Amino acid sequence: MAPIAPRSGDAVFANVERVNAELFTLTYGAIVRQLLTDLEEVEEVNKQLDQMGYNIGIRLIDEFLAKSNVSRCVDFKETAEVIAKVGFKMFLGVSASVTNWDADGTCCSLILEDNPLVDFVELPDTCQGLYYCNVLSGVIRGALEMVSMKTEVTWVRDMLRGDDAYELKVKLLKQVPEEYPYKDDE
Amino acid sequence: MIVCVSVVGHQNNPLYLQSFTEEDDALKLHHVVHCSLDVIDERVNNPKKTGSTLNETFLGLLYPTENYKVYGYLTNTKVKFILVTTDVDVRDADMRNFFRRFHSAYVDAVSNPFHVPGKKITSRSFAERVSTIVKSFGLGGAV
Amino acid sequence: MGREVSESCVDNLIIEMVSAYCNRFYESKPDLAARRIEAIGYQVGLQLSERYTMERPRFTDHLEAIKFICKDFWSEVFKKQIDNLKTNHRGTFVLQDNRFRWLTRMSVDTNQTNTDSSLDTAENKETQSASMHLYFPCGIIRGALTSLGIPCAVSADMSNLPACSFVVRIKG
Repeated sequence: MAPIAPRSGDAVFANVERVNAELFTLTYGAIVRQLLTDLEEVEEVNKQLDQMGYNIGIRLIDEFLAKSNVSRCVDFKETAEVIAKVGFKMFLGVSASVTNWDADGTCCSLILEDNPLVDFVELPDTCQGLYYCNVLSGVIRGALEMVSMKTEVTWVRDMLRGDDAYELKVKLLKQVPEEYPYKDDE
Repeated sequence: MIVCVSVVGHQNNPLYLQSFTEEDDALKLHHVVHCSLDVIDERVNNPKKTGSTLNETFLGLLYPTENYKVYGYLTNTKVKFILVTTDVDVRDADMRNFFRRFHSAYVDAVSNPFHVPGKKITSRSFAERVSTIVKSFGLGGAV
Repeated sequence: MGREVSESCVDNLIIEMVSAYCNRFYESKPDLAARRIEAIGYQVGLQLSERYTMERPRFTDHLEAIKFICKDFWSEVFKKQIDNLKTNHRGTFVLQDNRFRWLTRMSVDTNQTNTDSSLDTAENKETQSASMHLYFPCGIIRGALTSLGIPCAVSADMSNLPACSFVVRIKG
């Protein structure tokens, strides 16, 4: 049987249950603000947002694989493209682009020009060290870990800090050879 | 010409005031805005006496002074918007359009997670948006 | 305008927020965790109510505002209306949702057949976690009504799952 072709990000997004982004945007904003009040240190808030993202990522990967028909990516390059074009689109309704590959294909940048987390957000001067969207880096790290890729995800550019785009650097640290954890059709 | 716009909270606490005149008349404008609050309370609490529609957000002309005309708007969340202008002939539709756009800018400003409810609006993008809306007043079309 | 995200973004974010507050930040202080979760909902409620009332005339009384919460507000957030509204005409309103989306979708499922020997504690934990989740929508309702000029206290009753009732007691 021919393998089912992976679906495009648009097609997947059109088929998932969707809600008004405002609820998501405002809920995330309220969480960030409450964390700043409760944890006080901006550094600690960055860490917790990343941790929350990580926990979400390890759950989200199943839904992603199930709904996108993506079975297994041949290499890290393909994986990055799939995250950018299908992953982001399917959950956030926006897609990212992949650039800045290093020579051995283990490090690249995901670039977002737009992102529903930051609608209405203006960082106050007291929060300049905050990586407001840090939940996203955690999600990517968590999701990739579930498909045997250990990564490090860091922010390079952030529009809330005055840059012209959102840029996440994704670096592959270690790839555990896959032992066919997902059973094939045959 | 619009000389001043202002946002006032439900306890009559000032949330925002921006004037568009060269002159140093901040004090006078504050006074004009302050006086308009009583007019709004009167309108809303005694709708029959003043003959205004019971619950429309747009309150229309609140009162004319020697130099200004003062218009008002009251949201469902008890927030007041005040506009002070020197124009004598203002089309009702332009005024409604102004307040509708102003309301939308206000709602986005208070949707910023770092805005503290009841505190002054300090957002730079709100100030810019307000300036744009004020500049395009009465030009029609632009939404 | 009209931007959308996948519903599972919202679900997962709320699950994770509740779990972070209950299991990491205030593990031994459920009361504090509950208060923080409610506070997050309160802020969201304040803001949503500003947004959703933008193009409408002012409400003339409490009942009109409560009906707005039951119909338009609930539809925006949960894609369905409140199924049943009751009041004692003395400032208490009960809003019942027969299939409360955040409990059904998040599979905080208390009816799950459980063969585990520690059935009782497992079930208790599930119920506890579900009630922790409910502080969030309680906060949203309180925030929305407060912003409409109606200070109140809101609690949830989930003795009838998957139905869920929110009890609004207006202050003063």
